[in-house]
Amino acid sequence: MNRIIKKLLSNTTSLIGLLLLLFFVVIAIFAPYIAPPLFDDPYQIVRMTWDIEPRPPGFPMADEMRVVFESLGKQVDRDKALFGTAQGGYDIFYGLIWGTRTAFRVGIITVVFSMLIGVISGSIAAYFGGWIDELLMRITDIFLSIPFLVAAMVLTTILGRGLDKVMVALIAFGWMGYARVIRGSILSTKQEIYIMAARALGVKDFRIILLHLLPNTIFPVLVQASMNIGSMVVTAAALSFLGVGAPLGYADWGQMVSFARNWIIGSPGNAGKYWYAVFFPGIFIVLFVLSWNLVGDTLRDILDPRLRGEL
Amino acid sequence: MVERKQKILEIKDLKTHFFTENGIAKAVDGVDFDIFQGETLGLVGESGCGKSVTAFSVVRLLDYPGKVVGGEVIFKGDDLLQKSEDQMRKIRGKEIGMIFQEPMTSLNPVLTIGFQISEVLKIHYKMGNQEARTKVIELLKQVGIPIPEQRFDEYPHQLSGGMRQRAMIAMALACNPSLLIADEPTTALDVTIQAQILELMKNLLKQFNSSLIMITHDLGVIAEIADRIAVMYAGKIVEHSDTRTIFFNPLHPYTFGLLTSIPRLDLEMEKLESIPGMVPDCLCFPTGCKFHPRCVFATEICQREEPELTGVEDGHLVRCWYVDKVREESKKIGFSRRLSLVE
Amino acid sequence: MLSYIIRRLLMLPLILLGVTFLIFCLFSLLSPMERLATYINNPNVLKNPQSAQRLIEKYHLDDPFPAGYIHWLKSLMKLDFGWSSTANQPVWEAIMQRFPATMELVFYSIIPVILVGIWLGVISAVHHNDLLDQVIRVTAIIGWSLPTFIFGLLILFIFYGILGWMPPGRLSAWAQFAVYTGGNFKHYTHFITFDALLNGRLDIFWDAIIHLIGPIITLSYISWAYLLRITRSSMLDTLRKDYIRTARAKGVEEKKVIYLHAQKNALIPVVTVAGMMIIGMLGGVVITETVFTYPGMGYWAATSAQQLDYGSVIGFAVLFAFIMVVGNLIVDVSYALIDPRVRLE
Repeated sequence: MNRIIKKLLSNTTSLIGLLLLLFFVVIAIFAPYIAPPLFDDPYQIVRMTWDIEPRPPGFPMADEMRVVFESLGKQVDRDKALFGTAQGGYDIFYGLIWGTRTAFRVGIITVVFSMLIGVISGSIAAYFGGWIDELLMRITDIFLSIPFLVAAMVLTTILGRGLDKVMVALIAFGWMGYARVIRGSILSTKQEIYIMAARALGVKDFRIILLHLLPNTIFPVLVQASMNIGSMVVTAAALSFLGVGAPLGYADWGQMVSFARNWIIGSPGNAGKYWYAVFFPGIFIVLFVLSWNLVGDTLRDILDPRLRGEL
Repeated sequence: MVERKQKILEIKDLKTHFFTENGIAKAVDGVDFDIFQGETLGLVGESGCGKSVTAFSVVRLLDYPGKVVGGEVIFKGDDLLQKSEDQMRKIRGKEIGMIFQEPMTSLNPVLTIGFQISEVLKIHYKMGNQEARTKVIELLKQVGIPIPEQRFDEYPHQLSGGMRQRAMIAMALACNPSLLIADEPTTALDVTIQAQILELMKNLLKQFNSSLIMITHDLGVIAEIADRIAVMYAGKIVEHSDTRTIFFNPLHPYTFGLLTSIPRLDLEMEKLESIPGMVPDCLCFPTGCKFHPRCVFATEICQREEPELTGVEDGHLVRCWYVDKVREESKKIGFSRRLSLVE
Repeated sequence: MLSYIIRRLLMLPLILLGVTFLIFCLFSLLSPMERLATYINNPNVLKNPQSAQRLIEKYHLDDPFPAGYIHWLKSLMKLDFGWSSTANQPVWEAIMQRFPATMELVFYSIIPVILVGIWLGVISAVHHNDLLDQVIRVTAIIGWSLPTFIFGLLILFIFYGILGWMPPGRLSAWAQFAVYTGGNFKHYTHFITFDALLNGRLDIFWDAIIHLIGPIITLSYISWAYLLRITRSSMLDTLRKDYIRTARAKGVEEKKVIYLHAQKNALIPVVTVAGMMIIGMLGGVVITETVFTYPGMGYWAATSAQQLDYGSVIGFAVLFAFIMVVGNLIVDVSYALIDPRVRLE
């Protein structure tokens, strides 16, 4: 374990990844101080104006909005849109800061649950073998037969808009990879002598899985999980971008990008006019995903026995 | 004794180091030996002692991060270490053939046997398809592969282990090389097949008049085929002499240990000995004589100073401070008695 | 080998049955009334509870589980996927109309993916740990981390917004008129680039190409980054194999060692992940087409999803699942064909 941490810190790329990750964690933790909420639900993005057209960075809060918030009994401390406003007057800065919390929530919850489902079904399939294995693996195949994004899109369309529904959809179609990985590594570990010995001694099946097999096979799954957080967040953002994810006005990076969609080509004679509408949300998503990928990539290289010792 | 003919290969003070991130591993650290035409030299030692690295240094096929850092490899008068990669390529396969340990993994699974053997001929003799095919079928016949016409178009996985090794031998001998390097060619095979392959190699060597460096940890194999033996330990040669002398009059405690650790019917040994300890990690060799932590004869001088490889008798080189003690011990066990009986 | 193919072919209907069942389960999460909406083209019918109830019974939407599934499956086999309110035509017709556009895009995207991905992967592996390898590797990780919708918007921003080169859509207005309304433009393949050439209309061909470039780049770059990674690690693995050393010991030229002895082996596992790439591409189609308002199935499906046009979304899912299953089968069989160890079993 120490060796892994030492390597992660000594490798430039993974160090960059870890620092980026730290940056996002700090943003998520201190979101209420960085961008104080003005609605009762902090995930509701603060609006700076009622205007549809995006406004450039530094745009001050319109008077009519200030009146609204003050009538709600809120103190408006931060009255400039640091990164500009998106379509509909939504404050991009606010959306990104609170969107960081959304990203961590979506990423961690979906990965933990899909990992749980995957690990349970995969280890059952591998340990018991026979028709149970056959059945579970065919079910896995079937779930894998629909492209992930398409499947998630269909399910959220049916379930309706909302972040919780997005997460359900991502979990429902995100567990199969883990099931396959854990099944593969258990199948090879199962043949090891100490498992045979435990069986011969009459240790119960469930105990063998829990105490002997899982601790020895869980590592590749954890690596996969760390790389998966980024892609789960991207898929959730993509769903919001397509208009079937988070509800309108919810602090979510994908939604911030989708706000930019209609303005991307600028206005005649001024093509780059609304650059900020896509630039800032884009940077946040890319850096977040990149940080997980950098850490995951290095982790995989470290744990891959074939690549050991020559990073 | 061995006829002294033309010297084919002469290795002088060869040093090959591996530059790993944990430090420099001195896998080969000053090795000298030479081979004459038609002669077979056995390179013996436990795994990790540097014998394979020595062989790969000769043909310059070291894996990353290995590097030859010193010495000379004189092959037919030229130093191979000074040659360009292009010149080296013309020597590999043509002048120096190689046979590897695992016939299973040493043949390319997606190319046919015929393609892989005829490739050597096409490269070095610029043969056409048809000509190469005829020659390869003849070679396959020579190495004892039945129905060679059919085998030509088969893939490695369709052949048994012994057949694959025969194909490897055919490949190595295709251009009639003057030197053959065999890296544990029989280790992965069944005992009965081992004997067949050794017999085949012996015959072919005579036929082709090639020299052979035979790398192995198996003393039985070496006794069968080698004219001379060099025993390696921790990157250095510790004893070097002709085969009979090594077997009947070992003067290095390591060789002595190796010999007492194989079962023999002709000796009255109370029990099968084993050498205590393990081959040291080449990242941190012990000081002084590298064998001293495992040596029963070791004293304080062995820990401090490394002995030189010195000639004790005619052509018998040993790297040890206590040659006489070992000689007495081997007399007790009866190695030398056997020697006198033979003579 | 033959038995393997037969076994895989026999599995095909089972997997397809499973997939349709899974989609039916998703479909069943909707109330019968919502499901009924997918079958009718006049929403006013739903306002009358009695006639709606009659229709629900007519379409067996309220049947208990096995019967309902069988009825649904039967209607699928008759290609009756319901009514698409987004396209204002039957779902199947809507699919068939948009299918060629999507396939044209995918077709053109696969070529750069395979060529560039494999080529760079091999180079990266051969120059393992060199500067070149590091550059390729970091580029791939960044590419891998750049979500399609952001990348697509960037392309649109730069090449259309600023440079004005690659307009969104599939054709310019004049070309669209010439192709669909103009009269004497013949549709042989429904791939506009091909048809334009066959009709001898180079101007339309060029117009189609400049519309395609943006979507092609967007759709292919992620698969390319993925393929590059796989090829690189597979190639690295292969270059360490004993038979590579054998080839070198024979005096084989380094180029031939890499491109003949190693690449042939290294590409075998790469073929297996081609299936994964199809998944990535088909998923990417939805985003790419939406970003570029390219009138294919993906754009239509996304629009349908926004407008809660369930019938269209379900029909789209069924079709894509079929394509995937069949695609995976083809990949598996070709995998068996190129590996002699499997082929000669």
